[in-house]
Amino acid sequence: MFTERFLRDKRGASLDTAERTRLEAAISEVKTFAARKIIARAGEPLDQSTLLVEGIMSRYLDDRNGLRQLVAIHLPGDFLDLHAFPLKVLDHDVATLTPATVAIVPHAELEAIAEEMPQLVRKLWFVTLLDAAIHRAWLFRLGRLDATGRVAHFLCETNARLFSAGLSDGRRFALGLTQADLAEICGLTTVHVNRVMRQLREEKLCIFRSSLVEILDPAGLAARGQFNPAYLYNNHDVEHLSSRQRPKS
Amino acid sequence: MRSIPAGLEPETEPGIASAEGGLVFLDGPDGIAKTMTADAAARTGQSLIDAAAIAEAQRANGDV
Repeated sequence: MFTERFLRDKRGASLDTAERTRLEAAISEVKTFAARKIIARAGEPLDQSTLLVEGIMSRYLDDRNGLRQLVAIHLPGDFLDLHAFPLKVLDHDVATLTPATVAIVPHAELEAIAEEMPQLVRKLWFVTLLDAAIHRAWLFRLGRLDATGRVAHFLCETNARLFSAGLSDGRRFALGLTQADLAEICGLTTVHVNRVMRQLREEKLCIFRSSLVEILDPAGLAARGQFNPAYLYNNHDVEHLSSRQRPKS
Repeated sequence: MRSIPAGLEPETEPGIASAEGGLVFLDGPDGIAKTMTADAAARTGQSLIDAAAIAEAQRANGDV
């Protein structure tokens, strides 16, 4: 099932059986991509949207010198370019960060769903609003936080997102990103990120090593990043649950 | 009711610069996080000192 993680644990928006069956039926194709591949470019017409099944992908913009700012990352269960359904074109590029598997949903199928299941359309709308909420948090992070705060906020957010997708136990999760990726997410240099990661480790807040993040002090890391998970609209707040209390699919 | 500031206020706390691995890191005030070469940091520092002197003179002259 390709939609297993889609809207999992999202407040008031989880799919019922009929909706999930319809969405699965809308998938025209499943593709795999290697890491670091561009899969959509700004300005190209689009007639399909992409549900990320496995892996991590990014949306990004490059400046005039070719330096990159990641403006979003997407995790398994994310419908990463649903906004292209009404817009028909993207204003940014999309690329894989790790090897990725995606399910393709033609816009014609989304049109049909809009006719057949308006309640499912509201849930797809919820997804784009959730994307907007995450963008607001990223603006806050870059505008108001120092280097350590930015990285701490990003790691807390990613933990909460992966927890709701069933891919974090609340303290540990796999994250196949490099420090250069973190730098492009947090608007820092790679050496600055390296220094921040050492600081977080020395303060016993968090360890990021060999593509594995371990949060040693969730409350401390959240405080360092001024992180409040309310904007993720999860049913379960990650910091209050042990792995035995993880939300069920 | 809580009062809301009309906008960002000028920062009254200094940024903290440190050196490591031949580079200068400027962390804070809030929203500031920069890595500079030693030369760029020195010239930025001088530029800040020069601008601070002008700003002090403007305040002394009542130009604000």
